[in-house]
This record gives sequence, structure tokens and C-alpha cells, in this order.
Amino acid sequence: MFTVLIAGKAGEGIKKAAQVIADMLKFYGRFTFQLDDYESTIRGGHNFSVVTTDTSEVYSVYNSADLIICFDKRSYHLHSDKLNPNGLLVYNSDEGSFERGIGIPLTSLMKDVYNQPYNVSVSAVAISAARIGMTGSNLKDIIAHSYKRDATQNCIYASRVYDSLGEVAIDFPKLPCHSGHIFSGNQLIALGAWTAGLDYYFSYPMTPASSILHYLAAKQNTLGVHTIHAESELAAINMAIGAVYCGCRTAVGSSGGGFALMQEAFSMAGMVEAPLLCILSSRPGPATGVSTYTAQEDLYFALHQGHGDFSRIVASPDCMERAYTLAGELLAMAWKFQLPVILLTEKHLSESMMQAIIDPTQVMEANHLAATDEAEYNRYEITDNGISPLLFPPSEAVIKWNSHEHLSSGVRTDEAIDIVAMKDKRNRKDTGIIASLKEFQTWAVYGEGDVIVFAYGSTVLELREALKHLDSRITILAPIYLEPFDIKTVEMFQNRRTIIVEHNSKGDFAFLIRSKLQIDFIGSILRYDGRVFDPLELAQRIEVMINAQA
Amino acid sequence: MHKLDTNKENTWCPGCGNFGIMNAFKKALAALTNKGIDPKSIVITSGIGCHGKIFDYLNVSGIYSLHGRALATAQGIKLANPELNVICFGGDGDSLGEGLEHTMFAAKRNMDITLLLHNNGTYGLTTGQASPMSLQGYRGISTPQGNIERPFTPITLMYEAGATYISRSYSTKIDHLTEVITGAVLHKGFSFVEILQPCISYNNTYDLYNQKVRIMDGVPSNETVAYSLARNKDDIHIGIFKDESIPIYHEQLLGSHIPANERITRNHRCEIIKSMYP
Ligand SMILES: Cc1ncc(C[n+]2csc(CCOP(=O)(O)OP(=O)(O)O)c2C)c(N)n1
Ligand code: SF4
Repeated sequence: MFTVLIAGKAGEGIKKAAQVIADMLKFYGRFTFQLDDYESTIRGGHNFSVVTTDTSEVYSVYNSADLIICFDKRSYHLHSDKLNPNGLLVYNSDEGSFERGIGIPLTSLMKDVYNQPYNVSVSAVAISAARIGMTGSNLKDIIAHSYKRDATQNCIYASRVYDSLGEVAIDFPKLPCHSGHIFSGNQLIALGAWTAGLDYYFSYPMTPASSILHYLAAKQNTLGVHTIHAESELAAINMAIGAVYCGCRTAVGSSGGGFALMQEAFSMAGMVEAPLLCILSSRPGPATGVSTYTAQEDLYFALHQGHGDFSRIVASPDCMERAYTLAGELLAMAWKFQLPVILLTEKHLSESMMQAIIDPTQVMEANHLAATDEAEYNRYEITDNGISPLLFPPSEAVIKWNSHEHLSSGVRTDEAIDIVAMKDKRNRKDTGIIASLKEFQTWAVYGEGDVIVFAYGSTVLELREALKHLDSRITILAPIYLEPFDIKTVEMFQNRRTIIVEHNSKGDFAFLIRSKLQIDFIGSILRYDGRVFDPLELAQRIEVMINAQA
Repeated sequence: MHKLDTNKENTWCPGCGNFGIMNAFKKALAALTNKGIDPKSIVITSGIGCHGKIFDYLNVSGIYSLHGRALATAQGIKLANPELNVICFGGDGDSLGEGLEHTMFAAKRNMDITLLLHNNGTYGLTTGQASPMSLQGYRGISTPQGNIERPFTPITLMYEAGATYISRSYSTKIDHLTEVITGAVLHKGFSFVEILQPCISYNNTYDLYNQKVRIMDGVPSNETVAYSLARNKDDIHIGIFKDESIPIYHEQLLGSHIPANERITRNHRCEIIKSMYP
């Protein structure tokens, strides 16, 4: 295992450099996991990216690093004590000279090469290359390929940094490359939904959901998908319902604040029976909260999204591959049952990057029940399974969707008997939803220990990395579907000692598990500082909890 | 064309200006059909308020949207299927209060849709509170001491936002209103019709409008003239204040693609993914 940490100011291209390093390590046959820790700042402040790499899959990053690269003084002070024994720390000696590590005048070297100060983070790639023993000419190829603007200067700069470092290479053999590509969780969510049929994405930017919009917008020509950056979340979701009305497979996405604004229209999607995929990527709240960090504070918000009583499906991917397939599955469920669905995730999955192998044939297709008889068409035809056939305009038949309670024709009603009939119709879909969940994986299970650790979403990634240090004494149980909640699958795990891990201060997930499964925990581990656990620390905390109860 | 009425009981107050609007709209639909618009391509959305009830009375496809959101819904429809002619009914509380942002942005984008604004200067459905178009001094149940705020001038607001067809008419002038609505729907770009609509119960403006409304001859020659005519309080001018042709949003976004009709097939999607990530 090998961890690289690059630290400096916002605007220095740290995230990009980490991506290039991850690519380089992938080329060396390693698996990588990249986490970007950044403030909501465009210039200045403090940012760092961590890439942990290993010969088998890595699910989260480590706090302590084998290679630390600091572009400024602050970075040195914040990170130098994280260096592993035998690790290498390289700092920018233009910022001062420090006790540990090797100082290289990264800024002066840069000024010699570029007309204008260009991004210093190219040097991080050079330093990493030197450390893993890559040749100077391979480094140049990588730089030229990855930093196309000012390519010549970039190569010169990288070479000078590389040369001034001297011989620092460790034994880092190049292994056969494995298949798979490096994706962020948001890219996988976007691609999964698109594979299932996504035609339109309506959104208003809010971290950590924004990169779905950015990614789809960037890929619109390749994918033939359309994206709208609307004037607000209110506009985005109401537009989305309009697009759905015409038959377009449509999604919206935001973080908690944007979802709060979308509540009314989410509820409308329930009423008009609009199949709509909603992607909720959480950050710490309440209110504006902590924009660029991770949290799991919106579980009940998702479960109860929208006023009034209506059914919805809520599910959360526990890993990158699942982000891809689940986004498609949820879009398909939305269209099958004509209701709003939520893909709940967190910054840690949305924005972190790791390898995944995606197979489009594993993704469901979002199909709907189409009307066969236009002449007698009623949008909200009362049916046994609650699903009324869909027809899209232009059509001979009148197609009325109504946010008021309505008759089967879609015309408003206030009549008691009709209200009950229509609510019952909608509710009858629940049986079908539960039946169709039987065909899907509703829980993820990792490890085979006698102690159960419950978690959901990206916390599962953290746990899987911690599991490597726990001698498999635990089984991680993670519900993928949170609503409807499948109790059956986990009944065989009753009467075991259980621990729960989640990223909030109130224990929402514990509350959910307790109320669904009637179990008590020997301990709960809550983290609500926006950060993820160091896998070793998490393993140790679980260990202590188990031993205390032994 | 199929029948235009549903069998929903009409609950507008007798004498309500909405009747005139509905009559003119039906006539406009006939006129549009004569001009070659396929009635099937007409889709409506409405906000919530007395104005919104028109959705239930008209046997026309569409979405009875949320309060203030009908224009956002309408834009989504147009973006998904640009071949549809999308017409939105909004109240002044609805489209200039709760959902003002969508009105401004639909105009800013020059979305090729139509907003028919039922301007009755009050919240009719919720029993007469002051609206964004209530005059100063208007006494409603939420402003018993008289409304402090000044009303908007929707025409100039739409000018500023970038609407390309801006008009005003009066619910009693059925022929004029029919013509303006027809023109608005035929217009390529964002068309806005402010309809002076007396509310018999909470803001009876029949006498005021009957005295002051004047039909303009032709479209004002420039913005300055248009603004002064729109703001004139002694004579209330109706007619077309602006009729301009500039590129429309969906054509720039989509080219000739019709997302709802030309969906990418499943196989094609799988192939694309496989070629992107072999
Ligand atoms: C989100 C929301 N807020 C408030 C209401 C209650 N409400 C319904 S109609 C309305 C005002 C209607 O005024 P206007 O849009 O001018 O329509 P009018 O009834 O005058 O035609 C209000 C406040 C609602 N339905 N939804
Ligand atoms: S309250 Fe006013 S707007 Fe509403 S139906 Fe009666 S007259 Fe018309």
C-alpha cells in the first residue's frame, strides 16, 4: 500500500495532479482511491488530495502517507506529521526551510520556465514519478498527455523538478494493468442513469451534486443527453416534470438545500405520478452547512421528502459499481411504477474517484406501460396494480396531469369517494414495488465475522477498507434500498452483536435500523465533522467496541 | 376538432373576467387551427388560483401545475418536445409573485412558449389578499389598512427580461383578445399577454377599464414609446407593445433534435458506453 498526499492552495491544480498520479499508478498496475479535501474557495485557503494505492482494490484513503508534497508553509505544518516511517516529504523551499523532508524551490523553478506562473502541481506528478522510479522520458509522456496547455513548458518544469530531486526511488514494480477505468461516483451515477435511458438532466449547481451536471454537460455530444442549468432548483424540478410528461427520461440532482426547495414539486411528482429520478448528494447541514465535505444527515429527509402521503423509492449505493447500476435501476423503477425515486448518496462517493468496471448490459432499461387504446384514454385509469398506462403528446386523446387530486380523466376532484379511489390506486403500486425488489439486490454484505456492522452509502466504502485490518471479525450489512426497506434478507443475522457506523450526530440510521429490525446495538460510531474515517482508526474503534463487550 | 369543454362544473363567480378569457382562448384555438396549427400540438399548463381552473374546463392536454410553477413546467414540456405549442395560464399572484423567477427567465431565454397572465389585481381563489398587481391602497384581508406596495408594470418588466412578443388585452374585448392570443401562440419566441381581468368579488375593475382602456393602433415604434404607453395611468393601452424576432432557446440548445421523439436506443447506449470505456 502506498499513499500520496498533495497539499497547497485552492487554484493550484491539486485535484488534477492527483488524478494524473492516480492514472500513473493505474498504469503501474495498482488500484487507487482518490479523495479531494477542499474548501469552498477558488483561490488561496488550503486544499489537499490523497491517493491511496494498492495491488488490490482500495475503498478509502489513509491519513498517514508515504509521499507528502507541500506547496506552501501551511501545508507543511498541517501534514508533515502524517508521514509514514521511511516516507518521503517534499516541500517548496521557496516557502522556507523545514526540519523534515527535501526542500525544492518549486516556485522559482516554475518562474524560470513559464512566462506566467503556471500551476505548480505539475511538480507533484514529477515528484511522484521520481518516487516510484518512473523514467524521465515516461514522465514527459505523461505530462504531455495530461497537461496539454503549455505542454513544452510543463515538460521542462517537470523534468527540472524530477532532476533536482535526485535518487529517491523506492522498489515499486510495474505490475500487469488491470481492466476498469477511474471514475468519480457522480460520473457513474450519471452514466448509469444514461445507460438506462436518461434524456434530460435539470439542475441548479450545488456541491457535491454539481459534478453530475458538469459531467453530463461536457459529454452532451457523445451521449446525446441534454442538460439545463435552470434558474433555481424549483425551476429545475418543475421543468423536469414537464419533460417527463412528454416521455423523456429525466433526472434532477442537488444537495440538501436544493432538495429542500424541490420538496413541493417532488410531492407533485407523487401526485401526478411522474417518473422522476432525483439524486440527493449530502453534505453536512443544516442550512448551507459545510459545502464541500461529507455527511449522512439527510436519510429521513429523503425518506420523507415532499408533503402528503405517497410512495417513493429511496436507495443508496454502497460502492462505485453500484452507483452505476443503481442509478439505472432506480430510473427503471421510476418508469415502471410512475413515481419519484431518490438516489441518496454523499460527497464521499459523489466526488471520490476509484476504479470501476462498468457493464452497460447489467443496467436495466427504463420502460413504461404504454397506452394501447388512444380513443378511450384516461391518464389515471383505475387499475388493479395501480399503474395507469402512459401516453405522450401530441395525441388525439386528451392527456391531463393534475397536481390536485383528480378523477381518472385527470380533471380535479374534491369528492370524498374519488379521493379515496385515487389514493388507493396509487397505493396499490406498493405491492408491485415490493415484489419487484425481490429481483434486485437489496442489501450488500461484506465480510464473514460474527459481529454485524450496519452502515449504508459511502460509509460502507470506509468500512470495507477498515475491514482489511479487522481479520474479518465483522460482517458489514448495508441496505441498498432504504424505502421500501427489505427486512427479510437480513433476518438470518438476528441475535448477533451489532455496531452501527454513520456520518451524523443524531444516529438517524440507527433509528431506522432499530425501528425496522427491532435490534439494539452494542455501540454506535458517529462522525459528523465532514471528514471520513481513517481506515486504521475505524478498525481500532470497532475492535475496542467488540472487545469491551466480549 | 373535438369538443373543447369538459363536464367539470364551472365555479367562477358569475361575471368573472375569466369567462371572457376562456371564450377568447377557444376562439383563438379555432383561429390557430385555421392557420394550420394542429390542435393536437396544443398543450397547456396552469398555475393555482381562479385562473388555473381553466385547466379543468378546457378539454385540452397539459399539466395543472403548482402555484407559481406553471411556466417552469411549460418550459420543460417545450424542451422535451419542441413540436408542441405550449401555452401557460398564470395568475398575477402566481406568475408575478410566487413564480416570478420563471416568468423572468422564460422571457430571458426567449423560450418559444406563451404566457397568458390573468391580471385581476388580487388573489381571487384565496379570497382577496393583495397581489403583486394590487394598486397602492388596495384593501384586502391581508392588507386591511391598505396595500403599501406599488404594483409592477408587467409590460416593461417583460421588456427588460427579454420577451419578444409583449401585449396587453382586456377580458371583455373578446375579438381583440382572441387576436392577441392567436398572435402570441404563432409568435416564435417568448410571448406574453397581460390580460386585464376584473374580479367581481375582490377587485371589480370593470368601470375603470371600460372608461380607460384604449386599443393602440399598431406596435409602438420603439422602447421609449412602448414604456410610456405601458405606464400611462390615464389611458390604459391595449395591443401589442413589442413583436420582435430573435433566435429562440430550444433551437439553439437542440438544433433540430426532438428529445421526446428521437430517443437514443438501448443498443446504441450500450455501444457508446462500451466504446467510451472498453
Ligand atoms: C405553494 C402554495 N402557496 C400558497 C397556495 C395558496 N394559494 C392558492 S392560489 C393563491 C393565490 C392566487 O392568486 P393568483 O395567482 O393571482 O390567482 P387568482 O386566484 O387571482 O386567479 C394562493 C396564495 C398554494 N396553493 N400553494
Ligand atoms: S373570485 Fe374573482 S377571480 Fe375568482 S372566480 Fe370570483 S370573480 Fe373570478
